[in-house]
Amino acid sequence: MGSGREVAISLDGVRDKNVMQLKKLNTVLFPVRYNDKYYADALASGEFTKLAYYSDICVGSIACRLEKKEGGAIRVYIMTLGVLAPYRGLGIGTRLLNHVLDLCSKQNIPEIYLHVQTNNEDAINFYKKFGFEITETIKNYYTNIEPPDCFVLTKFITPSQGKK
Amino acid sequence: MGASLPPKEANLFKLIVKSYETKQYKKGLKAADAILKKFPDHGETLSMKGLTLNCMDRKSEAYELVRLGLKNDVKSHVCWHVYGLLYRSDREYREAIKCYRNALKRDPDNIEILRDLSLLQAQMRDLTGFVETRQQLLTLKPNHRMNWIGFAVAHHLNSNGAKAVEILEAYEGTLEDDYPPDNERCEHGEMLLYKISLLEECGFLERALEELHKKEPKIVDKLAYKEQEVSLLVKLGRLEEGANLYKVLLKMNSDNYRYYEGLQKCFGLYSENGNYSADEIDRLDALYKSLAEQYTWSSAVKRIPLDFLQGDKFREAAVNYIKPLLTKGVPSLFSDLSPLYDHPGKADILELLILELEHSIRTRYPDRTEKEPPSTLLWTLFFLAQHYDRRGQYDVALSKIDEAIQHTPTVIDLYSVKSRILKHAGDLVAAASFADEARCLDLADRYINSESVKRMLQADQVALAEKTVVLFTKDGDQHNNLHDMQCMWYELASGESYFRQGDLGRALKKFLAVEKHYADITEDQFDFHSYCLRKMTLRAYVEMLKFQDRLHSHAYFHKAAAGAIRCYLKLYDSPLNSPPEEEDNTSKTPSQKKKMKKQRKAERAKKEAEEKNEESSASGISKSGKRHLKPVDPDPYGEKLLQTEDPLSEASKYLKLLQKNSPDSLETHLLSFEVNMRKQRILLAFKAVKQLLRLDAENPDSHRCLIKFFHKVSSMAAPETDAEKLVWSVLEAERPYISQLQEKTLSEANKIFLGKHEDSLMHRVAVAEMLYTLDPTKKLEAVKLIEDSSNKVVPTNGALGPVMEWKLKDCIAVYKLLDKVLIDQDVALRWKVRCAGYFPYSTYFEGSRSSAVNNLLNNQDITTSVNGGTSHPEIKQSANSFIPNGKLEAFKNLAI
Repeated sequence: MGSGREVAISLDGVRDKNVMQLKKLNTVLFPVRYNDKYYADALASGEFTKLAYYSDICVGSIACRLEKKEGGAIRVYIMTLGVLAPYRGLGIGTRLLNHVLDLCSKQNIPEIYLHVQTNNEDAINFYKKFGFEITETIKNYYTNIEPPDCFVLTKFITPSQGKK
Repeated sequence: MGASLPPKEANLFKLIVKSYETKQYKKGLKAADAILKKFPDHGETLSMKGLTLNCMDRKSEAYELVRLGLKNDVKSHVCWHVYGLLYRSDREYREAIKCYRNALKRDPDNIEILRDLSLLQAQMRDLTGFVETRQQLLTLKPNHRMNWIGFAVAHHLNSNGAKAVEILEAYEGTLEDDYPPDNERCEHGEMLLYKISLLEECGFLERALEELHKKEPKIVDKLAYKEQEVSLLVKLGRLEEGANLYKVLLKMNSDNYRYYEGLQKCFGLYSENGNYSADEIDRLDALYKSLAEQYTWSSAVKRIPLDFLQGDKFREAAVNYIKPLLTKGVPSLFSDLSPLYDHPGKADILELLILELEHSIRTRYPDRTEKEPPSTLLWTLFFLAQHYDRRGQYDVALSKIDEAIQHTPTVIDLYSVKSRILKHAGDLVAAASFADEARCLDLADRYINSESVKRMLQADQVALAEKTVVLFTKDGDQHNNLHDMQCMWYELASGESYFRQGDLGRALKKFLAVEKHYADITEDQFDFHSYCLRKMTLRAYVEMLKFQDRLHSHAYFHKAAAGAIRCYLKLYDSPLNSPPEEEDNTSKTPSQKKKMKKQRKAERAKKEAEEKNEESSASGISKSGKRHLKPVDPDPYGEKLLQTEDPLSEASKYLKLLQKNSPDSLETHLLSFEVNMRKQRILLAFKAVKQLLRLDAENPDSHRCLIKFFHKVSSMAAPETDAEKLVWSVLEAERPYISQLQEKTLSEANKIFLGKHEDSLMHRVAVAEMLYTLDPTKKLEAVKLIEDSSNKVVPTNGALGPVMEWKLKDCIAVYKLLDKVLIDQDVALRWKVRCAGYFPYSTYFEGSRSSAVNNLLNNQDITTSVNGGTSHPEIKQSANSFIPNGKLEAFKNLAI
């Protein structure tokens, strides 16, 4: 309860019983319909995929895929991160991203990356705040939207020494 | 026992009895056979062998042996007792009682038999017998607590509370002063509370209160103590003390509505129907304001004033109540307030108030100075949608709910409410599909699963409903499991769906299953007759017995019995050899019908295969040693039920139960009328007519029955037999007492009825139908009477908003009448077109906004997969695969 005015934000995992919530969010947030592999990857990533609840209403999500690089190292790829329009600016996106960054550092995962459309400045600025940098530009990444190019944003995480 | 046997066999006989008690049936059987080898005619052994076989599922042998045993030794109390036990195991209690009585004739002081008898007497409510048996038991064993208590309860049930008190006090006299020991304090306290409630029931209020105070240290249940005390104080008129005690109780639980009600009574401020004078309202207002300061956590204290406040004060209180709940997000807010819609004027006030709130949220929203969370708009829209649904303004309701869904598409309740609105608006298919969408959003929620199953059944999608409902039953047990769990809403809804689809067999099956549950519930009390006496939960026990006595007046039973009777009536009207007609298929083309038939066939074949599978797996289990043999239903489609020789006498069985338990329901007597008219039981039909007139003479159906009855009577041949003459003379004597018919012809009575209710559609239709019944040449006049009815806007003061008066359900009934009774397709079609205008969402009338016209939803329905793959129409419309998916899953649109 606490102060009473603060609205509680909580995270919950994605399971086969509530995966429709994630689907519902994606149909509203993104102009793309994701295929079954997306959802299989998301479910397989375990703790790296989360739904965000704002006073018990599901309003946002982060979905990741765990990728194995040659040599066995794991890196995290953020497939989607989004919050419903009316609930933006309340720190929910930050909460979701921090959750994943914390997990990475706890599990000693050194690299986390994502794709973003080159004109999506809001997104680019958002990620830069968290220490992401543009590491690559891919031409013609998207087929049916303008501009078709994307940046790869990457954050390299130093192992959790110093952090508690 | 076994007295006539030599010692060796006598010991064997004892072994049989012991084996029976310890459930070692095989051992018992062996011993019995050993005796019978030497003494093949020994009656008691034969009886015991039969009883043992009964427990091994060899019923017919059991009865044979027990009867043989009794024949060979008719003077043995053992044989009679065994015979009684056998009957008892088959729930034939009356027969069992007879056997016990015979056994007691031979051995009057046999405690075991007496105890068994008393249980049966309690079960059958043979109360005088129960008292006698209990008295005998007490006389035989007065040192048993249970015998005292049993005797007292018997007197109480037999309406002799004072005697029961005497017995309990005599019992207390036998106790030591330091009674009870620590491990029996609860039981003793319960006994004391029971005694005090008896004193109260008998009207000995002073004594009850005195006793309560005296025994306070011995009563463990302190809450019950206080509630009992306050009830006595109020009844004694000691209102001030009562009020204080209620305040203490409120401190313990400030959300108990009964305490508030009691407190109001103490202040002389309570009215059953909620009508108060202006002065009383002011005093109530003041009372609740002061209570609200004391019980700050209570929501009841804030909610109750909305019931009695009026006008501006109501408005103010309502705003204060609603606003924080919208901010907090309480999905049940509308159901909480919904009773207020029946108070004149309050719906209008609420509407204005919520619209203002909506407006202020929208206009203040961008700057966020108020710190209103974004979800407030969502909950406000959610409330408004339910509000307009309640007011019958379905288009507004739908636009509000759609806006809410657009705002936050992940809230499950939104889809449930949209489904409900569509159901009310008449689009059952779309309602089912949105309920399913809600279900898919949380596959672990049984409630929304059940809700979606119910909607599917309402839309007659039985196969889909069956697949969905078993998602929450235990694996492998599927449908049996639903029956075992007494899942009655499901059985009723599917019975009704089968009935609509003309599948009378399966409809009957479902309705009778519900009837069976009620029989089982009655049966279930049996174990409590001994258990409760032992555990001393006497107040709860007596309450349970009273509940059982009115069990069959429960709404679910009423529905099931009425449904079964309707099935039998239909069966009688169109016997089996003519294929059952589909009733509600106006909107289906012949090809669709064909498809349905095919579907059903395929369904049956599949089911049969499944059942075979289950069967084989079940027998597999039994082979592996576990006794888990579920009897396979020999008649899964109710085909045998349909082959009944005499559907009307079957119907009468259930009708009797309705007449006994729901005598104040119009429907009971309408059904009685229909059944008895068909059975040519003139006087019983007349009785039904009289009951209808007593309950509601102005009801269109009452009028129909009255006219139909006397029309039928007048068309019958002159009486010949004495019995017929007698019936005639009764009717002749009774007719003058029916005010509607005094010195009038039936046509005149019909006309007068019309004059009284000229503005009501359903009354006009009833008159039109009777006009036609009395004189078929007047069909045109009848049609004109119906078509000339006008649909007006209802005056807004009550729950409904500015909507048209006619109800969808009624208009459908009128359509059926035009189509099936007056048989005029052109008129029926005209009616349909007219109603499609009134009810644009109705699939029945193919309204322009219904899914029957708008094929989108129908298609979606087919693609809906059971396990959560359903997709919202909007998703389908969005070009789903316009880009190859491989890379695109990475597409980002970050939201900040």
